[in-house]
Amino acid sequence: MSDIMLHIKNGIVIDPKNGVNAEKMDIFVKNGKIVEESEVSGEVKTIDASNKLVVAGGFDMHAHIAGSKINVGREMRPEEMRTVRLIAGKFRASIGRVLLTSPAIGYEYAKMGYTTAFEAAQPPVGALHTHEELDAIPMIDKAALPVFGNWHFVLKYVAEKDFEKLRAFIAWALERTKGFGVKVVNPGGVEAWMYGGNCKSLDDEVPGFGVTPREIITALIQETENLNLCHSVHLHCNNLGTPGNYETTIESMKLASKFSNEKRQVLHVTHVQFNSYAGSSWRDVASGAAEVAKYVNSVDNITIDMGQPIFGHATAMTGDAPFQFTLHKLTGARWSNKDSEIEGGAGIVPIAYLPKNPVHALQWAIGLELGLLVDSDKVVLSTDYPNGGPFTEYPYVMAMLMSKKMREKELERVSPYVQKATNLPSIDVEKTLYEVIHMTRSLPARVMGMDSKGHLGVGADADIAIYDLNPLEVDPSNDFETVYKAFKTAVYTIKGGEIIAKEGELVKEVWGRTFWVDARNKAAMDAIESDLDDMFEKYYSLQRVNYGVEEAWIKKPERLVMG
Amino acid sequence: MLILKPKFDFEVSVEMEITPSVAKADEQEIKDFEVYYGKKKVKLSELFEIKKEGDEAKLVLEGDFSKVKWVGTRMDEGEIVVKGNIGDHCGAYMTGGKIVVEGNALDWLGAEMKGGEIIVKGNARNYVGCAYYGDMTGMSGGKITVDGNVGNYIGEKMGGGEIEIKGSAGDFIGTEMKDGVIVIHGDCGFVGGDMKGGTIKIKGNFELVPGFKEVEDGFEGDVNAGGKGKVVKIA
Ligand SMILES: [Zn+2]
Repeated sequence: MSDIMLHIKNGIVIDPKNGVNAEKMDIFVKNGKIVEESEVSGEVKTIDASNKLVVAGGFDMHAHIAGSKINVGREMRPEEMRTVRLIAGKFRASIGRVLLTSPAIGYEYAKMGYTTAFEAAQPPVGALHTHEELDAIPMIDKAALPVFGNWHFVLKYVAEKDFEKLRAFIAWALERTKGFGVKVVNPGGVEAWMYGGNCKSLDDEVPGFGVTPREIITALIQETENLNLCHSVHLHCNNLGTPGNYETTIESMKLASKFSNEKRQVLHVTHVQFNSYAGSSWRDVASGAAEVAKYVNSVDNITIDMGQPIFGHATAMTGDAPFQFTLHKLTGARWSNKDSEIEGGAGIVPIAYLPKNPVHALQWAIGLELGLLVDSDKVVLSTDYPNGGPFTEYPYVMAMLMSKKMREKELERVSPYVQKATNLPSIDVEKTLYEVIHMTRSLPARVMGMDSKGHLGVGADADIAIYDLNPLEVDPSNDFETVYKAFKTAVYTIKGGEIIAKEGELVKEVWGRTFWVDARNKAAMDAIESDLDDMFEKYYSLQRVNYGVEEAWIKKPERLVMG
Repeated sequence: MLILKPKFDFEVSVEMEITPSVAKADEQEIKDFEVYYGKKKVKLSELFEIKKEGDEAKLVLEGDFSKVKWVGTRMDEGEIVVKGNIGDHCGAYMTGGKIVVEGNALDWLGAEMKGGEIIVKGNARNYVGCAYYGDMTGMSGGKITVDGNVGNYIGEKMGGGEIEIKGSAGDFIGTEMKDGVIVIHGDCGFVGGDMKGGTIKIKGNFELVPGFKEVEDGFEGDVNAGGKGKVVKIA
């Protein structure tokens, strides 16, 4: 945080949280926060933002930027490391084509005007490692979501219907892992995979526990709500990547129907593109996006993110180990499998999305269908980096959502399969600049329960992006190339009141905070003490006393206490 | 034609992605051609004596170039003659033209080359015509001839073209080979591991990995990879 005072002058502001739509305003910054004009005096640095778009810094709520998966990905893909982005000098060396090294991740987000990114799947036993890696990412604020859906404690408490213990366990786990919220990946399925199986439907039983994905998801939503965590359950559905899975997705969403929270959704379903397939096999696979969108639009307690594929290189890496094995069998590409103690697992498979490949083109179209058909207040822009492709292509997705012309142009180069298997060619929706700013700033901040992020109101973090785009003059529908180019490189990226990037050049290396959620005061923590001792004694390869991450080990931790 | 002579003994390696096309440029441009000396970016003229004779796309390297890497990378025309030894990655990714090395070559000779010809009169080291780590296909066209001996991993993931070794080779020849031909006149170690296609012809002694079955004119495998590669003995 900087004590420099800033005056951002004459910018055209879009700030959806505060209902500001392309108004010429001045923004004032002091002590890393946005303040009233009267607060600043004396030595104030002025930035002339005339005719430029001023928005809050971008917020990537679902990316894989740290932890064992991405590191194994880097190891198994040396070819990714041949792209040199920055040779060490004033800043650290940064390399990587799509799978970037840690400094490169921070630098590339910063150049694009993004100031926050959350790691969406942290293996709990690897929490220390994840935080060390997050600490190696400069420029942005961070957090990590530990995975719960296959953790033996969760399976056991759900089987015993001991929800008080489940609640205490979630609070304990978040504290020990310095985690932010409850991530669930293929609930039950990864445990079943240890026995060579999977949980393909919500009612498949998890071997050894006698519980079903339906029960796991429901119980985790219930206790996340009882703890009133910042973020809701963050679900990667069962049956991911399988034709016909849109039904499982909608069925999973329905599990949220009996819960509500006035501040936010009670269930966030992630990278939904991978879970919106109709058809019965890869031969007749089609889009189920319209059905999924219809359901999401009809309820007010669910949000999703797109998981938009980008043509070109990517690396599939998820905590969904059985799916990754299927993908490896399907593509014949390299495969690596991870198992983390009694907590879950993961798999990694290199992939390249090719426009002429019917399945890849279909996935690309489904991501866009979701982005277009789902109400802008419920769908966050994501590529599920690096699963769908690089986050550096968010501007491409933004421009595509705003321009039917651009989509028509792109449709010419993709497999004609999308014409019959999706609705994309006939969708006329063009999201507005205001909506797209919402989908990349204020909405992800709300979904993650971060009041100080994603907006430019007084009291917000001074994370600001200025783009060379005049919202009063630009017509995104026709000027899609201008829009794409403008969002690729921010004219200014300001983090906590400091200018960190200017016109694609890094200005200063800063270190963001790592948020974590402490909900221990909302649960009877003593209830699980003996269970923890017992399970660690019997099943873990390390002792309980050595498990977890102390706050002092993190560079800039910020504890959020749940009230 | 462009003639380069090292001005001094290089202490660290020189990363020099130079192709014969450079010889066509004017003299000042050639002198200013940028290369890395260790981690420093320097001009060609700081490291070499430069002599230009006409505009022909031909490079003559005189002296010891064994610390000079990437010569002829991605070249598509012309000729390079090395009157001495050459460093790693010589002729990598090349698509056309000809490289003649009168001395020895180091590792990664003609890695992932797609066309053209490389002739080494001395020895070469490991990874001749290989794929770089993580890539799916090694050499896919053109021809590499080595008059002397070579090291390990020759033609790994090779997808086409021909490698001819007049001397002996080390272990792991044609590993994961998909197509093309490798000829070894001397002896070598293990051949054909995970081989999918292509042919390896050997005159001397060699060791076959266990995944090969005997067929009429030699051996076929690697059956463990469902391969239809051929390993044959030649006279
Ligand atoms: Zn993900």
